[in-house]
Amino acid sequence: MSSALGRILMVEDDPRDTDLTLTALEEYNLGNEVVVTRDGEEALDYLYCRGKFEGRTSENPAVLLLDLKLPKIDGLEVLQQIKSDEGLKMIPVVVLTSSREERDMVASYKLGVNAYVVKPVDFHEFVNAIKELGIFWAIINEPPPGSMRRS
Amino acid sequence: MEHQRQGVERPAAIGSVVDAMPLHTAHTLLALRGYGLAVSSVAVALGTSLLLATYNFRGVEFPLFLMAISLTVWYAGVVPAIVALVLSGLGFNYFFTQPIHTLYITREDFPYYVVFLIFALLITRFSTIRRRIERDLVESRDALQKEVVIRTQQANLLDLTHDTIFVRDLSDRITYWNRGAQELYGWSAEEAVGKRTHELLQTVFPVSVDKIQSELLLSGRWEGELSHTKADGSSVVVASRWSLQRDEQHSPVAILETNNDITQRKRGEEDIRELNRELEKRTVELETINKELEAFAYSTSHDLRAPLRHVAGYAELLQRNAVSVLDDKGKQYVLMILESAKRMGILIDDLLAFSRIGRTETRKSLVSLNQLVQEARIEIGGEMAGRDIVWKIGLLPEFYGDRSMLKLALLNLISNSVKFTRTRTQAVIEIGCTEQGTKSTIVFVKDNGVGFDMKYLNKLFGVFQRLHRTEEFEGTGIGLATVQRIIHRHGGRVWAEGLVDGGATFYISLPKL
Repeated sequence: MSSALGRILMVEDDPRDTDLTLTALEEYNLGNEVVVTRDGEEALDYLYCRGKFEGRTSENPAVLLLDLKLPKIDGLEVLQQIKSDEGLKMIPVVVLTSSREERDMVASYKLGVNAYVVKPVDFHEFVNAIKELGIFWAIINEPPPGSMRRS
Repeated sequence: MEHQRQGVERPAAIGSVVDAMPLHTAHTLLALRGYGLAVSSVAVALGTSLLLATYNFRGVEFPLFLMAISLTVWYAGVVPAIVALVLSGLGFNYFFTQPIHTLYITREDFPYYVVFLIFALLITRFSTIRRRIERDLVESRDALQKEVVIRTQQANLLDLTHDTIFVRDLSDRITYWNRGAQELYGWSAEEAVGKRTHELLQTVFPVSVDKIQSELLLSGRWEGELSHTKADGSSVVVASRWSLQRDEQHSPVAILETNNDITQRKRGEEDIRELNRELEKRTVELETINKELEAFAYSTSHDLRAPLRHVAGYAELLQRNAVSVLDDKGKQYVLMILESAKRMGILIDDLLAFSRIGRTETRKSLVSLNQLVQEARIEIGGEMAGRDIVWKIGLLPEFYGDRSMLKLALLNLISNSVKFTRTRTQAVIEIGCTEQGTKSTIVFVKDNGVGFDMKYLNKLFGVFQRLHRTEEFEGTGIGLATVQRIIHRHGGRVWAEGLVDGGATFYISLPKL
């Protein structure tokens, strides 16, 4: 699950959400492509190859699934950091959140988010949303140069 | 001469009689009186001279005649004096100069007549001067009396005003104190005059006295608010105006101070300030509450949905993966969990949408209500599938308001009508408008549905209030609360009429453009 060579970087503090998301992705055999970080700090550590991710190859993930409400450094701060960094700004970022709040949406788009998805309460809808996200970003979409390729 | 006499010489009794007569009669009478005085005074002088002559007193006749002439000149004027002069001359000539008892005039007699004449002229002159002085005196006395009357009236006028007016000299001693001052401060003029103003009134100045004095000397006036203490010890705030009075040499002599009691006004202003402070405090409180509410809504949006999603997710996984180990009851339970989670999701979404209406700014533009009705009908098209609905849509006005909010309100009302006519073989939904005076427009949505009992009218627009069982008609009970909130935000009103099984009519009144 936390293999160092995932093409999908997920930032999610809730283990149940992580569990359900991975369950959904596994249906398309995308589960082992996912790297899970539990807060904003860990996510940035991964992207900058520091801390416990010091030894990983320096390629960027093909997509970043970002929750907004996170411990330590929240999602919007992570987004801001990524989009203001020359080496990271090309990573497609999808905000995946429970919040339907307009101000969060506006703030995310202002910071240059690539997609904004509200997690549906209904499990079928949720699974569909995650599947489509996974397929689109990890399979259909051509990631920018410097991203990890499909193995 | 005649004229002067009227005012000056005439005895009071004659004067009052004369006053009552026509003018020409009075003149004649006064002239006659003058001539009478001339004749009688000469007659008395002659008689006395002749009487004294019989007792051998000689040489008194000349002074006596002079006295008669003088008397006439003094009291009767020039013309009677000439008569007296002629009569005296004749009398003197006839009775006292040689040859006696003739009117023959010898050369020695001339000096007597010359003296008579000179004496008469001198007396006339003195008399004229005397009269002029007398006239001047009377005139100035009259002028003075008039002045006194005017001044008294002016002083009385100052007493009439409600303003407090007093005058003080440069050593601050009060010299005038009107009734307004007495009424305001409680000291009478007798008590106040002579006292030092600022000691008596315990004046509290807004700025230093020196500053006020210098402004007063420079511009001749000063205005400001002072605090004084009354005779009863209570304090009073006055709007004070000072004017500097200068004499002819332009040196200051007195200060006129006019004061208006503004204690009430100041108290009113203080009250208003207090109310404003209170209002500001309340506004801050409200803002805080609003922010808390927003934070609450945000956390509801985020934190409540996550566990709900987990409940639904795991129940779904249970249904999918463990269906073989569940009996029928167990499968039913899982279904219930899923349905409940779904319903709670809808409730949370509706509640959030409802709270958002209260929180977001309205973006107003000119909106065609007919167009909104059209759009709303298209949006709920799914609910109308397979239904026989007769629409009666009248001409609706344009309204200045928030388009998306108004659409949501109409959508809720129309969707309600569609929902609650479901049991009818043919539903009739009428949307129209009635004018209500010039101030507002009323739009109504009427249906022939299941209606409602008017005794629950007060619950109709409440949040999560429902008058039907969920299994009869689905819904969260937030629709009409949303309608009410939207219309209230537009300054309008909502109400309804209904009858159980007899349809319902919902009204919204919107203020006109």
